[in-house]
Amino acid sequence: MVPLENYLVLSAILFSLGVYGVLARRNAVLVLMSVELMLNAVSLNFVAFAAYLDPAKITGAIFAVFVITVAAAEVGLALAIVIRLFRNRGTSNVDEAALLKW
Amino acid sequence: MATEVLWWIFAAATVLLSAGVVFSRSVIHSAIFLIGSLAGVGAMYVFLMVDFLALVQFLIYGGAVTVLILLALMLTRTGATGTPEATSGSQAPFALIAGGGLLAILIGVAVATKWPGDVDNRPSQISLEAISKALFVDYGPPFIIASVLLLVALVGAIILARQEEGE
Repeated sequence: MVPLENYLVLSAILFSLGVYGVLARRNAVLVLMSVELMLNAVSLNFVAFAAYLDPAKITGAIFAVFVITVAAAEVGLALAIVIRLFRNRGTSNVDEAALLKW
Repeated sequence: MATEVLWWIFAAATVLLSAGVVFSRSVIHSAIFLIGSLAGVGAMYVFLMVDFLALVQFLIYGGAVTVLILLALMLTRTGATGTPEATSGSQAPFALIAGGGLLAILIGVAVATKWPGDVDNRPSQISLEAISKALFVDYGPPFIIASVLLLVALVGAIILARQEEGE
């Protein structure tokens, strides 16, 4: 069986890729997809810790269920905002949505 | 032994597909890579013996969320399909530094820390029964709040995205 560290390193790689995507991408939908990567990395961490350190308690798995629920709500709302932005400004790039910048 | 080989194959595939999500030039390709990456994390849940979570991951992430993202991509297309879009901003090198630095710190911490508990402790099967009992009995109030959150998000998304009069 693979040790716990393997899961932690895998999840660290996924999270860092997500951070890079959030910071570097211009398209709002791509930023959202990178956020999904980060959320997945975190819930993988939760489940790995729960399975290796305290198998009797399944708190990590429950936490991952809630993370997935909130992520689904977040994706729905954020895509609605992106579509609204596209309809009003004709772009879905985050650096062009700068109305509040002065 | 066979499990370990399979684990490494799935981990490598997950990392490559996730790199495809953030480095791909085409937004549609990114979305397709995302499906594979999320399925790879679902496979990790299978390795961790949490079958229910793997099922949820495949259904909700692999199915619903990616379809939603693909639909949003198609609704927000600009210009002709032939022109490649500039998907990364000029800040990309700094983002690479930030991501790489974070990766080095996280891996360093994860490897250097001595984790408590038996390292050879193989994950035991978590039954659907145990998860449902925890979800509905021990964590009942958060479950109800989560369902209210989903309802509010649903209504909010409809109100935000609907076509208003005179638009």
